[in-house]
Amino acid sequence: MKDTLLIIEDNEQNFYMMSFLLQKNGFAVLGAGSGLEGIEMALHHRPAAILLDIQLPEMDGYAVAAQLKKHQELAHIPIIAVTSYAMSGDRERILAAGATGYIEKPINPETFVMELAQYLKPDSPSRE
Amino acid sequence: MANQGEKSFSGALLLCLALVCPILALLQPAPAFTEGRTVRVGVYENAPKIFTAAYGKPSGIFIDVIEAIARTEGWNLTYVSGTWAEGLDRLEQGKIDLMPDVAYTADREKIFSFHAVPVLSAWFQIYAPRTSTIQSILDLNGKSILVLERSVQEEALARISKGFGLTFTLINVPDYDTMFERLARGEADACITNRFYGPMHAKKLGLKDTAIIFEPSDLFFATPKGDPQHLLAAIDRDLEELKKDPNSPYYHSLSRWVSEEVRFRLPSWLPAAGAAAGAALFLSLLGGVLLKYQVNARTRDLQKINQVLGASEQKYRELVMLANSIILRWSPDGRITFLNEFGQRFFGYFEEEIVGRPLVGTIVPGSESTGRDLSSMIAAISHDPESFERNVNENVRRNGERVWIDWTNKMVPDEQGGIKEILSIGSDITARKKSEEEIRRLNEDLRRHAEVLEQRVAERTAELVVAKDRAESADRLKSAFLATMSHELRTPLNSIIGFTGIMLQGLAGPLNPEQQKQMRMVQGSARHLLALINDVLDISKIEADQLEISMSTFALGPSLEKMAALVTPLAVKKGIELVVEVPEPGEMITTDPRRFEQVVINLLNNAVKFTEKGRVCLACRDDGKDYLVSVSDTGIGIAPEELPNLFQAFHQIDTGLSRKHEGTGLGLSICRKLLDLMGGGISVESEPGRGSTFTVRIPKREGGIA
Repeated sequence: MKDTLLIIEDNEQNFYMMSFLLQKNGFAVLGAGSGLEGIEMALHHRPAAILLDIQLPEMDGYAVAAQLKKHQELAHIPIIAVTSYAMSGDRERILAAGATGYIEKPINPETFVMELAQYLKPDSPSRE
Repeated sequence: MANQGEKSFSGALLLCLALVCPILALLQPAPAFTEGRTVRVGVYENAPKIFTAAYGKPSGIFIDVIEAIARTEGWNLTYVSGTWAEGLDRLEQGKIDLMPDVAYTADREKIFSFHAVPVLSAWFQIYAPRTSTIQSILDLNGKSILVLERSVQEEALARISKGFGLTFTLINVPDYDTMFERLARGEADACITNRFYGPMHAKKLGLKDTAIIFEPSDLFFATPKGDPQHLLAAIDRDLEELKKDPNSPYYHSLSRWVSEEVRFRLPSWLPAAGAAAGAALFLSLLGGVLLKYQVNARTRDLQKINQVLGASEQKYRELVMLANSIILRWSPDGRITFLNEFGQRFFGYFEEEIVGRPLVGTIVPGSESTGRDLSSMIAAISHDPESFERNVNENVRRNGERVWIDWTNKMVPDEQGGIKEILSIGSDITARKKSEEEIRRLNEDLRRHAEVLEQRVAERTAELVVAKDRAESADRLKSAFLATMSHELRTPLNSIIGFTGIMLQGLAGPLNPEQQKQMRMVQGSARHLLALINDVLDISKIEADQLEISMSTFALGPSLEKMAALVTPLAVKKGIELVVEVPEPGEMITTDPRRFEQVVINLLNNAVKFTEKGRVCLACRDDGKDYLVSVSDTGIGIAPEELPNLFQAFHQIDTGLSRKHEGTGLGLSICRKLLDLMGGGISVESEPGRGSTFTVRIPKREGGIA
């Protein structure tokens, strides 16, 4: 069974690029354009991992990560921040907010799946 | 005094004379050298030393002496009578050969010549009417005194007058007889005569001797200057012989003329016993010597006192009259009693114009230019000078010029302890006052300027605060802008790079070779654009002090190998040999790994970029303190003049190269700043056309990091 990944990303091109890349690499991909939508979908679908953009409308990535961690049933899902925020402290801040990993944008399509794989737990209970 | 000496010493002297006299008697008179010579001798009236006796014959001690000498020398004496002054004139003109009874003085020495052995010693004594109150020299002040004209007494009195500051009138008389007669008639208060004349004539004229005795002098014969007749040597020789023999005419003459007492006593002794008479004469002489000694001593004391008094008076006069201070005395009713010379000159008045006039209206204006009432101030000072011991007030010169004087006021008390006068000593401080005024004015100016300056500083500070706030908000804006831009630029780049990668991987379907080639170009351009964005972001972070270093300890060798691996594809493509000399796997380094690798990859990229053939070498050394990581190449090298600017931002050597060698020109400046932050450094050695070596220094210990 394919691992389902949730991508919370408000930029359509970026979402499509990552989604395409991940699907070509054998993942099922869900998408959300805002933080609230993303949390709802996570609650509903229980993805194997959540790829989270930081700059989002209404609720930013830090808040989304914090919210996700508040839900007991979601707390174990790895959150991988994929962000173009590159100022000092960004990485530390998002990890502190609950993210498991951090991949800087722009992503390298040749290594992206490999980087992502290391955050995925092989025995994730949310596998479909 | 002679009497006392006689009583106490008579026995011993008698014995002494008994031995001496026979010896003296044996002495022969010296042979005569100037026989048959005529010597003209001046005569004047000064009994008993020299005078004209009733029968017209010159008499007296000097006549007795010169006649004795004339006998010895075989001189013929002729006498020329006249007053004392006439005698001196005649001697000076050579009209006479000898003048008797001349006291030696330095002035006289200039016109006359003297022999050495004195004939007599005399002192002078003031005589006055029996009823006179004159007792001391100071009593002579304001008196009229008769004095022999052109005599040494006249000079002596002049000295006394000067020495004691006394004023008295001297009345010249030609001889002592005239002097005593006029004194007896009351024409003067006192007279001065010698010890010979005075005792002989005082009593009968109702005069008395006073205690004022002074100026002992030796009396001689004088010749015209140079002693043209060669008389003086003979006189000395004979006089010496005469003085040795108590029976000589010299002592006979003395005993005959000197005093009533002696005159009275000698005749009773002398005819009976020659030796006894000699003894009496000797005693009388001894008494005279003792008296003379005492008089000398007293005279010396007086002279000393005179000198001291004179000097002190002179000093006072100089101080008061010539001092460069105003010295003013004024009475309590405000009138000037004295103003010294300096003060007179200063205020512009002559003494007679100012003394006696009130202060206010002359040198003190009614009121000061400051408005102070000086009339009442003067009244206040005169009532209580001590309260005004130091007082600065305005004064006025005769020409109306106002001056400032610093006065010291002292009370001069009268006998009852009241205020007799006020002594005021003043210094002109007008110039000082003006300077002080000027200084005050300048200070005031300065204070105003300072106020203006302070005001300006305050304004400028406020402006600066605003500017600083603006700058700070601009800085915050810049940081926010950078963060936003970084995000906004990366987001589309993410798609470009992502899709390019996806397509090149063939995930979106197979590409033909031309499509593949073009997609690689897009990928290259996108990566370059990303590098540019990263560099600009780094520089901005560094300049905003927002770049943070996060230290960790890691193995140096593997890190360097990883960097080398990243540039290997490009090196291989260019046909450049890449030599890597890494340390033992155990060598650990403590620094910011991400930034360290950023620096090394930057240098390796540059080396490969600027090298067309040859090799690039990555090496690491350890100098004990630091790791020295070097990247050397055999590339185009750097001109020496470019080296100093190499590590500055936005500097890329030779703009002509930029087309060929893409880059931001920020890489090396970022490297240097990163290394600064990490406590390390970077240096370069290069030779154009031969290659360059960049050396990075990283401290081995974390403690070495700034």
